Amino acid sequence: MQEEKQHVIPSTMNRNGDQQVVIIGGGPAGLTAAYELITRHNIRPVVFEKLDKVGGIARTENYKGYYFDMGGHRFFTKSKEVQRFWKEVMGDDFLRRPRLSRIFYNDKFFHYPLKPFNALMGLGLYESVLIMASYIRWQIFPYRQEETFEQWVTNRFGKRLFLTFFKTYTEKVWGISTSELKAEWAAQRIKNLSLKSAIVSMFVKPNTKITTLIEEFDYPRRGPGMMWNAVKEAVERRGGSVQLNSDVVGIHRQGNRITAVEVACNGYRQVVPGDSFISSMPVTEFIRYLDPPPPKPVLDAAHRLKYRDFLTVCLVVNKKELFPDNWIYIHDPRVKVGRIQNFKNWSPEMVPDQSKTSLGLEYFCNEGDELWTMADEDLIELGKQEIERIGLAKYEDVEDGSVFRVPKSYPVYDSEYKEHLETIKEYLATLENFQTIGRNGLHRYNNQDHAMLTGMLAVRNLMLGESNNLWVVNAEQEYHEEIAEDVEADPEVVTEVVKEALAHIFTRLDPLAFGLALGLILGLAVFAATALLLLRGGPVVGPHLQLLSNFFIGYSVTWPGALIGLLYGVVVGFVFGGLFAYLRNTAMFLHMAYIQRRSELNLLRSLFDYI
Amino acid sequence: MPERKESLEQLVLTRVMRLNATIHGLVFGLVAGLALFIATNWLILKGGPIGPEGEPIIGPNLWLLSQFFYGYSVTFVGSLIGFAYAFAVGFVAGFLIAQIYNWIVDFREYRARRSA
Ligand SMILES: Cc1cc2nc3c(=O)[nH]c(=O)nc-3n(C[C@H](O)[C@H](O)[C@H](O)COP(=O)(O)OP(=O)(O)OC[C@H]3O[C@@H](n4cnc5c(N)ncnc54)[C@H](O)[C@@H]3O)c2cc1C
Repeated sequence: MQEEKQHVIPSTMNRNGDQQVVIIGGGPAGLTAAYELITRHNIRPVVFEKLDKVGGIARTENYKGYYFDMGGHRFFTKSKEVQRFWKEVMGDDFLRRPRLSRIFYNDKFFHYPLKPFNALMGLGLYESVLIMASYIRWQIFPYRQEETFEQWVTNRFGKRLFLTFFKTYTEKVWGISTSELKAEWAAQRIKNLSLKSAIVSMFVKPNTKITTLIEEFDYPRRGPGMMWNAVKEAVERRGGSVQLNSDVVGIHRQGNRITAVEVACNGYRQVVPGDSFISSMPVTEFIRYLDPPPPKPVLDAAHRLKYRDFLTVCLVVNKKELFPDNWIYIHDPRVKVGRIQNFKNWSPEMVPDQSKTSLGLEYFCNEGDELWTMADEDLIELGKQEIERIGLAKYEDVEDGSVFRVPKSYPVYDSEYKEHLETIKEYLATLENFQTIGRNGLHRYNNQDHAMLTGMLAVRNLMLGESNNLWVVNAEQEYHEEIAEDVEADPEVVTEVVKEALAHIFTRLDPLAFGLALGLILGLAVFAATALLLLRGGPVVGPHLQLLSNFFIGYSVTWPGALIGLLYGVVVGFVFGGLFAYLRNTAMFLHMAYIQRRSELNLLRSLFDYI
Repeated sequence: MPERKESLEQLVLTRVMRLNATIHGLVFGLVAGLALFIATNWLILKGGPIGPEGEPIIGPNLWLLSQFFYGYSVTFVGSLIGFAYAFAVGFVAGFLIAQIYNWIVDFREYRARRSA
């Protein structure tokens, strides 16, 4: 190993007499924090980024003038703050782009989000009949337990549709069989959303604005990297520092305070002291780098949080146009590729030569596995063969290629992650001058906007003494959320509240109690009416009320009759009240099950948008 | 692991609704009051056959209510009086139904808890 020197560098901020804020990671969250610090509070932070460019997972790679967006990043947000930020930084370089994405399965394309009619048409009459039959079969005899993803979706869509549209792609993304994948990750995400949309759909009309968000999005002319480079430049222009190729490899701690970070840069090691620290590096690594280390349970918990990774094989194809989609989900089990981006359809400027097309073939994998470690040339060869096999481009039309790997792109929500994250959260809360932000900093499926919000809120906590809880800035509301606030509540809490509300609306009316209550009142009413007429007296007492005896045999407008009427009233009221309550309960329950199921299905149709 | 939360279905199936007696009373009262008010005025507007004394006979059956609601008649003023009566009776009935229902439900839950 190369001998590394170690020294303490003087901090930029101590020179200015401000407080020294050290930010780890030059992705959306870290850069947003830096930008906010410097533009709003005039504090010049130092940002350490281990790669040679900023943007993190949302970076844009450049290969011979072709821009490759790692993952394909749509820009959309409900947060006014984030929108303002994007506009401020990008100005007119922000394009509004239409969205087209389809599923490729069995040599055919299907609209995505799924449209039932289009799907059935595409599959043909015979297959459609089988799918309907399978749907009915699973509605009548569902899996009794819904423990796995496969069981969960099958119970909602039927096995055949599950096999067609859900199995292969989900297995590609997560690398495990859908019969092993816990239902939880989908169920939880979908339930959160479906409960909320269910309750909302009861009271308001569907939100058409949401549809437009799904149908179009904003995009910087040359990919998201353009945005993050602009932010970097803005920070540096104002005297902040963004240091590339600077890998934070150690975190010095004294009791409950972080004192410095150790940065590896060009073979050197520097120790950079600071007053406050904001980190967007994976929280698991942060815990591991702490010196002295945290208690063992915390280290163990960090060790057990998992990630999924992906790599993009970028191909330059000598064809002006290949297909109109921004991206295509490849459900075809014959190939390993999971999704294919067509960058020219994101923005024409992603391609320097308009007679060519550039594609990004995304392979989901685990750091260190066979795909991940495959040589770049072999991966390009694989990409060329697969693109030909599925017929999207010809092997010989591919004239160049390159490979980019994105480690830790997905925090894994397995059955244990919450428990481990809780342990980590509790420990981190004891650190006084430290905040963790961003997607991997919080181990949350945050999109850029929510990652950015955590950066903004961390700055407010630091500079304004606010106590925003960064762990609850939500990841799941981009497409559907109706609660139009910048910072949304913890999905768990919201779900519980919504569940309570729904439960309250739909709770059972006790048939026995309602029958008895109604019976008593009806009985008393007959008794009182009879008694009143008896007390008033007259030559002929209550000839009309007497007619009741047509129904209440034995009743008369007499004192014994009043008692018989009371009894009849009680019985009739009891029967009708009980029946009413019973029918009302059944109808309410069926209605609730229906709206919940309907919103679940709606969300399932666009499940892959959340991956 | 955190304790398992009840599913919505469980909540809906196991929880029992409580009724707000005042609201129940008000709704029952209003419905009863309005029903009588409208019925009375409807009969007035419709008119009726001419009786032996040359007077129209309007709503002879509804008149019978005056046996319980003193002062009620099938006239416009009567419809207002009827509204007040029916509202009062409806309110009391609605209120009592809800209140008695709640008592019974409380009692049943209390017994269920004790035997659990
Ligand atoms: C396939 C895919 C598609 C996506 N699509 C969208 C989309 O359409 N729209 C959208 O808004 N979002 C999308 N996202 C999410 C988006 O990429 C993330 O929300 C965003 O990048 C998170 O920003 P961040 O700053 O929190 O984390 P990151 O982007 O991970 O940034 C963290 C930074 O820290 C650096 N770092 C890590 N360790 C160290 C260290 N030890 N020292 C120094 N630096 C370090 C990393 O190099 C990185 O630059 C997608 C993500 C994926 C994986």
